[in-house]
Amino acid sequence: MTTAACFIIASRNDIPIYEAEVGSAAKREDAAQLPQFILQAALDIVQDLAWTTSAMILKTIDKFNDLVVSVYVTDDHILNISKPIHFLHFIIHTRFMLLHDSRSDDGIKSFFQEVHELYIKSLLNPLYLPGSRITSSHFDTKVGALARKYL
Amino acid sequence: MQELSSKHIIPYMEQKIRLLNQQVSSTRKGFRNQFKNLWWRKGKEDALDTTNGPVYTFSSIESQIRVLGDYAFMLRDYELAVSSYRLISTDYKLDKAWKCYAGVQEMIGLTYFMLDQSRKEAEYCMENAFNTYLKLGSAVQQNATRCGLWWIEMLKTRNQIKEAATVYFRICGEDLLHSAVMLEQASFCYLLSKPPMLHKYGFHLVLSGDHYKKCDQIKHAIRTYRNAVSVYRGTTWNLIKDRVHFHIGQWYASLGMYDVAVTHMLEILASSHQSKTSQELFLRDFLHIVQKTGKTFEVLKLQLPVINIPSLKVIFEDHRTYASPAAASIKEGVWRSLEEDMIPSLSAKSNWLDVQSKLIPRKYKESNICVAGEAIIVDIEFKNPLQIPISILNVSLICELSANPEELNSGKDINSSLVLSEVDFSLEGGETILVQLTVTPRVEGILTIVGVKWKLSSSVVGLHNFESNSVNKRIAKGRRKPKHSPSADLKFIVIKSLPRLQGFIPSLPEKTYAGDLRHLVLELNNQSKFPVKNLKMKISNPRFLNAGNQSYLNVEFPACLEKKLNVEQSDGHAKAKKMLQNVFHFPEDISVQEETSLSWPLWFHAAVPGNISLYITVYYEMENVSSIMKFRTLRMHYNLQVLPSLDVSFELSPCPSRLEEFLLRMDVVNKTSSECFQIHQLSSVGQQWDVSLLQPVDSILPSQSLFAGQVLSCFFMLKVGTTIEELAPWIIHLYRRKSSTSEDSNPLFLQSDVRLGPPGNSEALFDVCSSPLADFHDYERLYQGMSCQGNVDFVFITQLWRGNIDSGAPHRPLLFSHHVCHCSLSSFSPISWFVDGPRTIQHNFSASPCGVNLKMTINNSSDAASSVHVKTFDAPSSNSQSIDATASQSGLPLENQAGWFSIPAVNDTKVITTDALAKRITKSVSLESAPQFIWTGSSSTKLKLQPRATAEVPLQICVFAPGIYDLSNYALNWNLAPIEESQGEANKSSGECQGYPCYLTVLQST
Repeated sequence: MTTAACFIIASRNDIPIYEAEVGSAAKREDAAQLPQFILQAALDIVQDLAWTTSAMILKTIDKFNDLVVSVYVTDDHILNISKPIHFLHFIIHTRFMLLHDSRSDDGIKSFFQEVHELYIKSLLNPLYLPGSRITSSHFDTKVGALARKYL
Repeated sequence: MQELSSKHIIPYMEQKIRLLNQQVSSTRKGFRNQFKNLWWRKGKEDALDTTNGPVYTFSSIESQIRVLGDYAFMLRDYELAVSSYRLISTDYKLDKAWKCYAGVQEMIGLTYFMLDQSRKEAEYCMENAFNTYLKLGSAVQQNATRCGLWWIEMLKTRNQIKEAATVYFRICGEDLLHSAVMLEQASFCYLLSKPPMLHKYGFHLVLSGDHYKKCDQIKHAIRTYRNAVSVYRGTTWNLIKDRVHFHIGQWYASLGMYDVAVTHMLEILASSHQSKTSQELFLRDFLHIVQKTGKTFEVLKLQLPVINIPSLKVIFEDHRTYASPAAASIKEGVWRSLEEDMIPSLSAKSNWLDVQSKLIPRKYKESNICVAGEAIIVDIEFKNPLQIPISILNVSLICELSANPEELNSGKDINSSLVLSEVDFSLEGGETILVQLTVTPRVEGILTIVGVKWKLSSSVVGLHNFESNSVNKRIAKGRRKPKHSPSADLKFIVIKSLPRLQGFIPSLPEKTYAGDLRHLVLELNNQSKFPVKNLKMKISNPRFLNAGNQSYLNVEFPACLEKKLNVEQSDGHAKAKKMLQNVFHFPEDISVQEETSLSWPLWFHAAVPGNISLYITVYYEMENVSSIMKFRTLRMHYNLQVLPSLDVSFELSPCPSRLEEFLLRMDVVNKTSSECFQIHQLSSVGQQWDVSLLQPVDSILPSQSLFAGQVLSCFFMLKVGTTIEELAPWIIHLYRRKSSTSEDSNPLFLQSDVRLGPPGNSEALFDVCSSPLADFHDYERLYQGMSCQGNVDFVFITQLWRGNIDSGAPHRPLLFSHHVCHCSLSSFSPISWFVDGPRTIQHNFSASPCGVNLKMTINNSSDAASSVHVKTFDAPSSNSQSIDATASQSGLPLENQAGWFSIPAVNDTKVITTDALAKRITKSVSLESAPQFIWTGSSSTKLKLQPRATAEVPLQICVFAPGIYDLSNYALNWNLAPIEESQGEANKSSGECQGYPCYLTVLQST
C-alpha cells in the first residue's frame, strides 16, 4: 500500500486538467508543491519515452528520492480512429501521472485502466471541452474510490 | 623545463617501471606465483584485519603494483596500467579493502576511457567505484565527488549529458552547499541535453535554490530561482508558480530589494487555489514587504480584488434622463419605441448629433455627450478571489477632463473641476460586490474615464484601466452603440449645464389588487435656472395609468367620481377619446419655472393581475438655452404587482316572453385571502341598456360585504332603456353611447346603474361615463376584444375599507372597479319578436266562432336591414288528424261547454313531459292537447325592417271552442341584408325561428 501519492492528468500542452491527492498520509504544508514539481519534471521523460514504446503504461520512469513516477499514456491512435479529427487531436497526448512510493505494479496498472475508462466517459460528455479542466465532482469521487481500491 | 622532464623524469620513470615490473612479475606473474599468493593470502587474512580492511604498507606487493600502474598510466602505457590495476583490484576486493578497491576501480575506469575502447566497461568501473565510495560514507565524500566528476566528464565528452545530470544528482550529499552546486550543475546539464528538458531544468534549479537558501547563500538562491522563473513563466501548474514567486519574493525582501520583491509577490496574491492559511501568509508577507518599502505602490492590474470587466456599465444622461437607476437599466429599445412619435428628430432619422457636428470636431463625433454638473455613473463588479476577507478603501474612478481643442490655450487646470465619488467596502472570502462610482464634471470639455483605482490596505494602490481592445474594436467598427453595451465608449463631451427635470409619482403603490382605482399625482421638479416648456408625456400602458385633467389636481378622491347633475361630460370625454394610444400634451401655457415643481394628476387603474412594468417618459424643451441639445426626455419606470381580487363574470340569457329583455346573472368571487370588499354599484355601459335588480340585495347579501373566498350570485333584469318605466325603486339611468346613436338624445338617460349598497345609504353613485372611469373603460374595451355590435359592458364597483395591503392612503377606502366588456348578445338572433294580444277571452260560441286579433311586434336589433317572413301553419298537415283525435278523445263536445275540463288534461301532459324540455316536443304535446284553431289572417307575411326598427304585423286567429290554445305554430324566416364592410363576420345572416309558446284561454261566456 502506498502511503502518499499524487495523481495528475496532464493534457496535450502539459496543462494539468485534473489533480488529486490519493494518498492517505497527511501532507506537510511546505511540501505541498513537491509532487507537482516531480511530476512536471517527469513530463520531459514521458515525452521521450512515449514515442519509443507502444505500451500504454510506463512504469517507474522517474524517481525522486523514494518517490516513483508511473505514467499511463492514453494510446488512442487505434481506439478513436473513427472519431472526428478534433477529438483525436485532443485526446492523443493525455497522460495520467501517478506519484507513489511503492511498487504495487498490478494495482497501479488496474488503477490507470479504470481511470482511463472514467476519463473517456467524461470526454463523451458533450458539454466537456476536451483539454479543459475536469471539474466534475462525480469524477473526483470515482477516482478517490479507485485509489482506495487499488493503491 | 622541457628538457628536464624529457631527459630526466621520463627516463627515471621508465626505469622505475622496468624495476617494478620485474618485481611484480617475479612475485605475482605465472602460475606458481598465483598459487603461492593464494596460499599466503589465506594465512594473512587471519592475522591482519582492521575495520577498514587491511592496511598496506608502501613496501607491500599490492602497493608496488599500484605504483606500477600509476607510473604506466602517467606514461600513457594504458595497457600496462590496466593490467596492473586489474591485478590488484581483485586482491583489494578479496581483502575487503574497499577504499583502495574503489580507487583502483576509478583508475580502471579512467584508463579504459583513455583507451577509448569499451565504454561499457569504463562506465561500469566508474559506477562501481562511485557506489563503493558512497558505501564508505562521509569519510570518503571527497573521493566520491572526485570520482563522480571524472565520471561526469567522461559522459559529457560522449554527449551523454542526461546521464551526467543524474550523476550530478547522485553526488549530492549531506553538505548543503556542495549539493546546491551539484544540483545547479545538474540543471545545466538538463538544459544542455538534446532535446532540452526544461521541466527538469527548472525542478533542479529550484532544488538547488532551496539548498543555497539553507546555507544562507541567498544571492545564489535568487540567481537559481530567477532562472527557474523564466522556465515557469506562464505555467498552469499553479502550486509551482506560487512557490517560486513566493520564495523569490521573500528572499529579495530579505536582501532589502523590496521593489523586485513586490513584483514577485504580486504574482501570487490572487491565488484562489491555495489553502486559506497560505493565502493569509501570502497576503501578510506582501503587505509586510510593501510597508517596508515605505512608499505607496501603484500597481497596474492588481489582481486583488478581481474586476469583472464585462460587468462594467456606464450610465450617463444626454438628452435622455432617468428618474431612477431602475429606469436606466431598462433596454434602450423600450424607451425608443415609447418615445418614437414624441421626439421630432428621431422620427426624421436625424438626431441631434447631426446638428452638433458643425460645432464639435469630427474626431469627437462618435463620443457621448454629457452635461456639466450631472453625474456619470459607472457600475463595476469586484470579486474577492481569496477565502480570507479583504478590505478595499477609496475606490474611485480615474478620469481626465481636458478642454475642448479650440480652447486649449486657456491653460486652466481643468482637472480640479471633477468631482469623484469614493467608496470603501470590505469583501468576504469569495464575495462579489457591485460598486457604483460616479464622476461629475463641473465645466465643459472632454471627459475620458481612464480606469478605476483603489487602495488595498494603506499603501497599495491598485489601478485598472478600462481602455482595452474592446474599445478599439468598437472604433474600428465605426458604429455608435447604445450605451448599455459593457464596453461603452468612455469618452464624453461635456456640454454646458442644462435644465434637468426630476419626476416621480409619490404614492404609486407597489402592490395592489386588481381593479384598484386611484388618483395619483406626478411631480416634476426643475432644479436649474432655466425654465422648460412644451411638455409632453407618454405612458406605456394606458390601461393602467393615464393622465388626468388639470382640474382634477386637488379634488378629493373618490368624491370627484360621484355622479353630479348638470355636468357637461362630453368635453372631457371627447378629449380622452382623442388621446387613446397617443401622446399626452400638457397645455401650451404650462412651463416648469426655475426651482419649482409641477404637479399633474394621474389616474391609476390596476386592470389585470400580474407583474406590471410601467414606463413613463416626459419630453420637454429648454427655453432660452442656446445649446446643441434642444430637448430632453425624462424616463420613469415603475414596477408593480397586481394581485387578483374579485372575479366578476356575467351571463346573459334572453327572456322568452318579453321583447328585448334579458336575464343577467352576475357571479362574483372574492379571490383574496383576507380582504373584505363592500359592493357598491353595477353599471352597464352599452347600447341603451337598463339594469334592474330582480330581488333586493339584502336578501342575497345582508352585510353587503364580500368576505375572502365568498361567492355572490346576483340576478338582474336587463332591458332596452327606451321603454323605461319608473316603477323600479332604484335609480335608473339610461346611457346611450355617443358612438352608436346621435348625441342629442335624451341626456338624462345615459346609463343605468344599480346601487348594490345598503338601502339606507345615501352615498352617491359613481359616474361611469366621466373622465377616469370612462377612459379606463375604453381601454378595457380595447383590450378585452374586438368591439362588435349588440354587446353590453358592465362596470362593477366595490370598496375596500380596511385594506391589509400596503396603500398610500390608509384612511380612505380603496375603490375598485371591474370592467367586463363585450358580454355578448350576438349569439342570439338579431330579430326578436313578441306576440301581443288578449290573454283571456270570453266568448259565446253558440253565436259564432271567436275571432281573436293578435299583434306581432318584430324588432330588428342589428345594424343591417333585414327582411322577415312570417309564416303560420294554418292546418298542421301531419298533426291535424291526431289533434282531431285527441279533441274527440278528450270528450269535449263543443256544445258541452266544458272548457274547464281541458285544464287538468293540459296539466297531466305537462307532468308527463317535464323531462323532455325540447321546445318542439312541448309544442307538439300542447298542440295535441289543445283544441283546434285556425289562423285567419294572411298565412304568410313578408316585410322589410330597417336597422334598429320595429314593425307590427297583425295576426288573427279563429277559435271554435273554448279551451287553452298554444299559439306557437308559426315560424319566422329572417334575412339580413349584407352591409358593406360588415364588422361581424361571425354573425348569422339568415335564420329561421319557431314561435314561442303563447297561451290563449278562451272561455264560454254566459
